[in-house]
Amino acid sequence: QVSFLIPECGMLPEVLKSTIADFGEYYLVRNLSIHELVTHEFIDAFVKKGSCYALTYNTRIDQDNTAALLPNGKLILSVDKDTYEELGLQGHPSQYSGKKAMRYIITIDLTDSGFHPDGKKHNRVLWALKEKKPLEFDFLLAWYNTGAEGSTLMSYFSKNQIQALKPKITFSTLRDLQCPALQSNELQGKPEESCSTEELFEWLGAVMNQVSLDNKSSSFLSTYCCPQPSTIVEKAFLCTITGFIIPEKIIQLLEQLCCYFGEPKLAYWLTLTVHGFADSPVSWRESEHGFHKGGENLYNFVIFRNLDYWLQMAVGTNDDCPP
Amino acid sequence: VGAALPVDVLVYEEKTLSAILRVISSGLVKLWSALTLLGFYQNRRCAVRVLQTSPFLLALSGNSRELVL
Repeated sequence: QVSFLIPECGMLPEVLKSTIADFGEYYLVRNLSIHELVTHEFIDAFVKKGSCYALTYNTRIDQDNTAALLPNGKLILSVDKDTYEELGLQGHPSQYSGKKAMRYIITIDLTDSGFHPDGKKHNRVLWALKEKKPLEFDFLLAWYNTGAEGSTLMSYFSKNQIQALKPKITFSTLRDLQCPALQSNELQGKPEESCSTEELFEWLGAVMNQVSLDNKSSSFLSTYCCPQPSTIVEKAFLCTITGFIIPEKIIQLLEQLCCYFGEPKLAYWLTLTVHGFADSPVSWRESEHGFHKGGENLYNFVIFRNLDYWLQMAVGTNDDCPP
Repeated sequence: VGAALPVDVLVYEEKTLSAILRVISSGLVKLWSALTLLGFYQNRRCAVRVLQTSPFLLALSGNSRELVL
């Protein structure tokens, strides 16, 4: 899920509207056997031409088998102990599995030079996934095509139950919003002048969850209030986009948001928040991602008028620190 | 639990009967257990289910497990 918040903005500029409209489609393929992603037709058509992304849908990383295809051509399988033993492919125990390994991670590099058709590696992987222990999942797929000619995901999987989906977009204009005052070079905040990065992070969470920001000291329901110093902003624009969104599109959105300050604006800063999938087997780079009490892996940009920025990254318990 | 441990009700949505609570991290287990074991309120049967927990309020605004396609 991608959200951005622009204070002092009532209506979205046209260029941002078209960037969002241009987010493209992603695909849901039901009951797809995972060996189809390992065949050379698929690798040559999609993995090697541009960036191909896949993630199993409706699988829980702490309970079920999960798979993901990264744009660098690596196929990551996160499987339980029984599946791992039945598959017979080489992997390593999950970092978050405890003394008795109950979960294993198998990484297959589809673009590796040793993975050519008729090679021993390729044949073994194909045999394991097709015959030894066939695994079927519903997959979310997306492909960033670098202009190459050829088939599309829709036509390639036309024999499977493939659906093209558009990300869900919601807009809202928030009125009379209390916004913390921020100074880009004061990360810890300055008393009476600006708020700290943690205060901003929590405030943003409050805004996204519609938490009331002005609690009187007599209120016994909640003690949360907007960090001070703050200003009351007449209107703020909040947009949320939900779906299987690829980084290339987020970068385009980020660039357009930076261009927002190209013309003089009342706002001092705006934010862009990106939430990763809670059940993805990887978070940043290829670090293993787990779900302990929560599967959060998100990052937040605060972009200032002078194009300074803060980048805040958050992960859950079963995660490595972000880079 | 509410008397021994300060708990904030940050938001309550009547339509979905869901709320966001805030508690100090050392009190998470106590609060979670208390919510799970809550079976009656004013002589009416009820049940509370915890949907999502996180140390970050911002993480609660997106839950990929709720993505229904």
